[in-house]
Amino acid sequence: MPRMRLASFAALTFTLVTTTASAQPTATGTLDPARSPRNASYTITARLDPATRTITGSETITWRNITQKATTDLQFHLYWNAWKNPRSTFMREQALSGFGSEVVRRPDEWAHMDIGSVTVGGVDRTASRRFVNLDDDNANDETVMQVPLASPILPGATATIAVTWTAHVPRTFARTGAVGNFFFIAQWFPKLGVLQEEGWNCHQFHSGTEFFSDYGVYDVSLSVPAGWPIGATGVERERRDDGSHTVHRFYQEDVHDFAWTTSPDYLVRTARFEHPTLPPVEMRLLLQPEHERQAERHFDATRTTLKYYGEWFGPYPYGHITIVDPAFQSGAGGMEYPTLFTAGTRWLAPPRVTTPEGVTVHEAGHQFWYGIVGSNEFEDAWMDEGFNTFSTARAIAQVYDPNFLVLRYFGGFIPWVFRDIALGRETEGNRLAGYRHDARSDAQSTPSFRYFPSSGGSITYNKTALWLNTLERWRGWPTLQRIMSTYFARWQFKHPKPQDFFAVANEVSGQDLTPFFDEVYRSSNVFDYGIADLKSVREGDLYHTTVVVRRYGEARWPDFLRVVIDFRNGKQVLELQRWEESDRWKAYVYDGPAQALSAQVDPNGVLLLDVNYTNNSKTLAPRSGAAATKWSTQWMVWLQECLLSWAALA
Amino acid sequence: MSGADSQAALPRPIGSAGPLPAAIDGIRRVNRAPALLAGAFALTVLVSLPLAVAMRGLLAQHLGDSLAADSAAGGVNYDWMQEFADQATGLGVTFKPTIIGFGAVLDNLSAFLDNTSRPVVVVAAASIYVLGWLFLAGGIIDRLARDRATRASGFFSACGVFFFRFLRLAATQWIVYAFLFGAVHPWLFVGLYPRLIHDVTVERTAFMLRVALYLVFGVLVATCSMIFDYAKVRAVVEDRRSMLGSINAAIGFVWRNAAAAVLLFALDFLLFVVAIAIYGLVAPGAGGRGLMVGAAFALGQVYVAGRLWVKLVFWSSETALFQSRLAHAGYVARPEPAWPDSPAADMM
Repeated sequence: MPRMRLASFAALTFTLVTTTASAQPTATGTLDPARSPRNASYTITARLDPATRTITGSETITWRNITQKATTDLQFHLYWNAWKNPRSTFMREQALSGFGSEVVRRPDEWAHMDIGSVTVGGVDRTASRRFVNLDDDNANDETVMQVPLASPILPGATATIAVTWTAHVPRTFARTGAVGNFFFIAQWFPKLGVLQEEGWNCHQFHSGTEFFSDYGVYDVSLSVPAGWPIGATGVERERRDDGSHTVHRFYQEDVHDFAWTTSPDYLVRTARFEHPTLPPVEMRLLLQPEHERQAERHFDATRTTLKYYGEWFGPYPYGHITIVDPAFQSGAGGMEYPTLFTAGTRWLAPPRVTTPEGVTVHEAGHQFWYGIVGSNEFEDAWMDEGFNTFSTARAIAQVYDPNFLVLRYFGGFIPWVFRDIALGRETEGNRLAGYRHDARSDAQSTPSFRYFPSSGGSITYNKTALWLNTLERWRGWPTLQRIMSTYFARWQFKHPKPQDFFAVANEVSGQDLTPFFDEVYRSSNVFDYGIADLKSVREGDLYHTTVVVRRYGEARWPDFLRVVIDFRNGKQVLELQRWEESDRWKAYVYDGPAQALSAQVDPNGVLLLDVNYTNNSKTLAPRSGAAATKWSTQWMVWLQECLLSWAALA
Repeated sequence: MSGADSQAALPRPIGSAGPLPAAIDGIRRVNRAPALLAGAFALTVLVSLPLAVAMRGLLAQHLGDSLAADSAAGGVNYDWMQEFADQATGLGVTFKPTIIGFGAVLDNLSAFLDNTSRPVVVVAAASIYVLGWLFLAGGIIDRLARDRATRASGFFSACGVFFFRFLRLAATQWIVYAFLFGAVHPWLFVGLYPRLIHDVTVERTAFMLRVALYLVFGVLVATCSMIFDYAKVRAVVEDRRSMLGSINAAIGFVWRNAAAAVLLFALDFLLFVVAIAIYGLVAPGAGGRGLMVGAAFALGQVYVAGRLWVKLVFWSSETALFQSRLAHAGYVARPEPAWPDSPAADMM
């Protein structure tokens, strides 16, 4: 029948087009249709002078007010002013977290960003600009510039903003800067904050948090010394000589930042990611010569990310990705930018150790949690870092299991792999040890930039990864996968807030998970359930067994808590009870023919946030003596070795 | 001019040993005195065992009646190790994965070269251990120098005679090593090294620079160690009372026999490297249980004994070299005391 044939033909054509589209590289920098509002687009021209470490730039920002309110000012991030002197908020916070040595720098190793001019709609507003510091009233902080407007920008209206500036490239701070002839340039241009219904979201630069900005189109022309390989956000569309320099023009749609790097030392390698159901991705690797043999490890880890994150959460849409292997001492490793990230490896990188794979998967993973889902890293850093730490551990476990502990000696150069210690996903991958140490330092709902600087990372990265993995072990991976993929699909190229994720979680799981989020997100309480007592004594023909389970921590598990008691005759009793707010302990009593052997609370380790696993069980046949003997003899050999080192001087 | 200096001015005795014969002679002398090795081993165990017992108590207390002990006893329970580390204080902070197998050797070598601080309790134990060596040194070198059995009375007599002299020598040693580790090392590794690598963007280059500084520091320490060794040897062999004089004489000896002394030191150091390399090949992990735990511990003790043997060979071969150059094999100026005339007996 003609109609059916037409439908079949249309379906076939659609399939062919789809297949062809997914089979062809889409590395043009364009995304059609637009994925984001594209309300903050930048056309930038900049020139790097490596000798003076100076960047001279000009930009034209096409900005559209997508809120319902008019704005009477513009607010810009001038991130590099955080490294102008030790009095900035960034430097003060860094000193608070114990990185005081950062201030011992030569004068030319600091940074600054000086604005030449600002015009809005052709009107010069240079003279009206001023620095604001709403986070902490630090008058010495110059990382946020406010420009009052001659006339308000109304909802839906578009403004054209032109800015010129010069900046001095520092010796690396916060993964940005130069060492030798290696340059990694990020957060380098005057950048608008995000206008929300509540006003501008444009925080000062803090030492413990990262960035937040609107999506747009970036068209950036960079002039660097001729012959220096360059990597940047987007796709290189044009290249032309300019005397001793070469101008490279990069273009990318639907991204919210732009970073770049150049160095004459880079080796350039390329590879391709292909997958039956995901779009292909061209991979470009800028590699340090001393890591040449590790090229495939970088590609393999990136493929792992694109595959698993793509399958679990959603496809990577850009068609290209640039992997940067930063130079030794550059401090630029382990950072994400749209379509580009820095990995980080070592000269000696043994197999079955996740260097460089761990950092590569993590930073590539940020293309999803940060790049595509654009949460606010100032206020809710856990939404990208924590989600990504969880996802990284899960992806690593798929491909790089087992991987082993490595310690480095002799100034940190010489690795030694401890093949006795296979690193598990649940505890090592999610970084339980760090969380345990800092568990009470801050409630996760505190704005991230207000976390205590030295412990904020544990709350941001580790705690989130642990509670997501707990959620996985509690509700099952299929449920969590649907939660995360739904959240990804619903909030890609947008700016979700915590309640947006919680709403998706409740909706998809079909369960009110609020009590769980109350504990893990809204409080700094810790989980610590333990077996306080286990007795099993003969009374007549029977054994009288008493098990006391105690809640040592303030946090309360919102579901049934599992307790397992094993008896010597092989019988096992499972207790499932819900603990109320006032419950601090529960006792279980049994009279039976066999003596109890052991009792365990949460025997399957569902509650990964429990800060003390050792007290989760008790046995009446303890082997602590044997274990202590074994480990104290190991330690004794170490001590004897230590004594011999000293005796060498006797 | 002291008698020793008079000897030093004499022409080299015909047939004086080179570094290789001295090393071989040194090995032979140590092998002929197994009691010395046993004594040194006993000292090492005596100092380390109480702390190991204390550590055992800490570990057992933390594990309590937990089932976590099962996996810790049968393999490596890394999660428990981290939990323990999180609450550990004092001695407990040294319980880390680096204690496993060859990691222990790397950790200590690295700590030595990187001047890493250790907890007070470990420093205290090490100080007692060094004190023990200072006490035994006189007896050990006397026995090795005589190259014949001195029996307990002779051995402890020499220990008693030289202990207070070596304490005075140790004061000088302490000043020199405090200067090396407290001033020279920071100057090299905290001051110079960061400046050298300031603009280095290649890790391999930075490592080579660090190795070069390790060599500089190592040569300084080795030179001082060698001089102090010969100071002890000269003090015992020539019955010197002035330790400053012994140091001066040792410097003179090393200066005049630089090639032989340095080569001998290098040969002895090679033995040290071989001992470590062998242990690196056979060092057990921590995965075993039951008899395997005992076997792993026994292997560790064999390694410790090997390291002690190397230390004795250092002294022995240096004594042999000195005797071959300025005296003769078996020569010791001080007559061998006979019980009950020994200072040790007097003390009793």
